Amino acid sequence: MSLAQAKHATRRAFGGRLLERAADDASFVVFESDLGKSSLSNMFGDAYPDRYFNLGIAELNTMGAAAGMAAGGRTVFVAGYSVFLTMRALEAVRSVICYPKLNVKLYASHGGLTAAIDGVTHQGSEDIAFMSTLPNMKVLVPADSVSARAACDLALATPGPVFVRLMRDPLYERYEAAETFTIGGSKVVRPGKDITLASYGDIVFQALQAADALAGNGIDAEVLDLYSVKPVDAAAVIASVRKTGALLVAENHQKRNGLGYDLAALLLKEAPVPFDNLGLEDRFAESGDYFKMIDKYGFSAARIAEAAERLLLKARPRR
Amino acid sequence: MDATVLARRALELDAIAGDLRFHVVDMVHEAQSGHISPGLGAADIMTALFFETMRIDPKNPDMAGRDRFVLSKGHSCPVLYAVLALRGYFPIEELKTLRRLGSRLQGHPVIGTVPGIDATSGSLGLGASQAVGMALEGRMQGQSYTVWALLGDGEIDEGVIWEASAAAAKYKLGNLVFIVDRNGLQTDGPCESVMPMEPIDRKFEAFNWKVLKMDGHDMADILTTLQAARDYRSGPVCVIASTVKGKGVSFMENTSEWHAKAPNDEQYARAVAELRGGRA
Repeated sequence: MSLAQAKHATRRAFGGRLLERAADDASFVVFESDLGKSSLSNMFGDAYPDRYFNLGIAELNTMGAAAGMAAGGRTVFVAGYSVFLTMRALEAVRSVICYPKLNVKLYASHGGLTAAIDGVTHQGSEDIAFMSTLPNMKVLVPADSVSARAACDLALATPGPVFVRLMRDPLYERYEAAETFTIGGSKVVRPGKDITLASYGDIVFQALQAADALAGNGIDAEVLDLYSVKPVDAAAVIASVRKTGALLVAENHQKRNGLGYDLAALLLKEAPVPFDNLGLEDRFAESGDYFKMIDKYGFSAARIAEAAERLLLKARPRR
Repeated sequence: MDATVLARRALELDAIAGDLRFHVVDMVHEAQSGHISPGLGAADIMTALFFETMRIDPKNPDMAGRDRFVLSKGHSCPVLYAVLALRGYFPIEELKTLRRLGSRLQGHPVIGTVPGIDATSGSLGLGASQAVGMALEGRMQGQSYTVWALLGDGEIDEGVIWEASAAAAKYKLGNLVFIVDRNGLQTDGPCESVMPMEPIDRKFEAFNWKVLKMDGHDMADILTTLQAARDYRSGPVCVIASTVKGKGVSFMENTSEWHAKAPNDEQYARAVAELRGGRA
């Protein structure tokens, strides 16, 4: 299967949808910390200057001020790089947003290694761990433009804090405009019967390409897009592994405390099957080309396919 | 307010502040936990705000146009809970439940617990940021309410205070007032030895804030200064209030020792006797 090249990155799709929604929904505003040209929240700021607050290079205050405004009933999108929103401002997100369940939505661009060329300081490679650990926080990671637009709608429609992780660069398109997405939902993007490949965001495309490669070796892989990382669609994961008998999780994130850890715990309790997970191996990455980087650090299509073959060999040695 | 009316009102409020101090001591004694001397030091300011200065209605605690209050120094919350109860937001008996399992009176204030709490605080510095957001929201809604935030003088060590101060000046938030409770003491000792922040007035002025000063235990001065702070609408105002940590209980005054310590029964009895005697 060939993947359709995307014209726009998910940050652009999300920001564009926010702009569309603003026309008939005056209930929300956007806060920025001087990265509007990178998050692309500046599109909103240009169109709605009275609803756009650029609070300078001061993410902690931006987050706290967002809480203050949300306490009055308004919905506030806070835009920025994932690493700064989720780590510089982490304690504000925890204590004054998640704890009192305020309507603050994190519009987090440059998630994972998608800021690859900028190096480790700009890579949000632990963001999912921090956000998914916080009570009351929901975590969405759209893979393409359609799902990024849907994530914007879900963030607006869902009470309480929502974190949306977005990518810097255009990758591929997968979904038709009519596709529906839900908090706690997932998509089987490729049905199969021999192994389940689960991922979210950009790595969904790597999993799809891995599935194509595996098909050449007679392995029929099922690919899940777990775009709702928290709450995760546990029922779909369990149903899939009951069919395939093996789970391989790949993510653009630290392995530790990422989706792989979450699903490993789920399977141990509910449906023990052979399992492996791919991601950063308790180390920082570096500057470099995105595609070379995800290959070097172990979660490209080639690495996923190799890991799937290894896992199946271990699981069914006589296969 | 003319001078005679002001003097009479100040006397009435002094009596309420005495009650407030009793409840602070009583709550922390009952809980055997909590911050006692920061509440005692802020009792006069809190009384002035909740019984005179702020536009609030305990019967309608979520009124859209109400003034907002942010206890940025959230650890002082026994005095916030007590003033809310005395003002009629919830029953006074509930004060005895401070810090107990299942109580609405959490160790630090949280939105959505008792009515009258406008901000979640306790993480120092973040109240100031929330106050900025509330002031921006007031302006968006076209409301004329004032946002009052009470900050500790140790709390202004936090960098986010200055991020918030820059933002408030950028947006010329004339509906925002910070009150710095300048008692000179923080947890580990005198502020000027832990982290010297003087000149506080000139720091705020340099951030383009209007700075006012008051004696945080002179009720007439407090009322007059807070009114002036409310009336100034050209930009944010910082009121530096000279206070005595532990004010009203002699052995708790001017020491860091009672910042977060509960009195035993004997100390409690002495404290209550002093407070009762003091307002005879």
